[in-house]
Amino acid sequence: MNTSTHTALEQEVAQLVIDTLNLEDLQATDIPPQQPLFGDGLGLDSVDALELALALQKRYDIRIASDDKDARRHFATVASLAAFVASQQAACAN
Amino acid sequence: MTAFRLEDWRAWAPGLESANDWRAWAQSPRAVPDDAQTQPSCAFLPALQRRRLSRLARMTLETAWPLCGDDEQLPFVFGSHHGETPQTLALLSDIVDGQPLSPTRFGLSVHNAIAGQWSILRGQRGESSAIAGEADTFEHAVLEGLLQLAAGAPSALVVVAEELPPPAYAPWIADVPFSYAVALRLGRTDTTMDASAHGDWQLRLERAEGDAPCARPHALDFLRAMLARDSSLQHTWKARRWNWRRIR
Repeated sequence: MNTSTHTALEQEVAQLVIDTLNLEDLQATDIPPQQPLFGDGLGLDSVDALELALALQKRYDIRIASDDKDARRHFATVASLAAFVASQQAACAN
Repeated sequence: MTAFRLEDWRAWAPGLESANDWRAWAQSPRAVPDDAQTQPSCAFLPALQRRRLSRLARMTLETAWPLCGDDEQLPFVFGSHHGETPQTLALLSDIVDGQPLSPTRFGLSVHNAIAGQWSILRGQRGESSAIAGEADTFEHAVLEGLLQLAAGAPSALVVVAEELPPPAYAPWIADVPFSYAVALRLGRTDTTMDASAHGDWQLRLERAEGDAPCARPHALDFLRAMLARDSSLQHTWKARRWNWRRIR
């Protein structure tokens, strides 16, 4: 499987990242699902993380506790964020 | 010291970007249409560094950027009467609606935020001031720049930027007909040097009684007078009459 191909949800999450953080000139396909979003990857920082958490809350009604030890893992890449969104949606559907 | 050499300038308003645009505007000054969206590109910055720049920040950076050399450290004065009214309204609206506030917007909702962004993006470690005055904020900002020269700086940057306020503010804000930024690079007067193409100027304050206020924003009116090569102009606000005189 080609890891640079986005699933529909990854595409949606990548677009959310771009729109939320005002990343002009970037397309969803410019952020590979496995590319680290923070640090040496895309280059996002902690304020971006807060902004993204707020966007996830507004868009998907997902709340992330500030002491959630898994937050760092969820926010690592577009792929991990999309997996997190999918798991939360599945949990709500049950 | 209230005399200075105008070493260089830049200005931005919707549809007015180049020096030639402004020269044409100075011939027949008019209010330009402002859709509250059009903003400078700040193409000198990579996209990732532009992501937190508001419209007013972009206007400030676009005009100030070329006035500071890569190897220079210059005092920086940011002046704005009203600050970022669209951002303020957006934050207040979120509070009214019970919505959480954008961390970025909240974090940058102080008057000196743009001066801070200038400092970070240009690696400027020196003095910087953020001023909010009344309709004569421009003169107060230039005065602050002149004080930096008097304190020993060889040159100083002064940017006055205003953003067209959202309609909700219309009853209270009458002095911003359209968004604009004017950046001036002030230097010391030096008669051993050739005269600056933009002139040496003197700013003097005296007491006014019953004078009519200036019809256009003071920064833009100064720009008009400078480009039209006027020898003097006056801007009055309340009891303050600011006398500008071209001395060279």
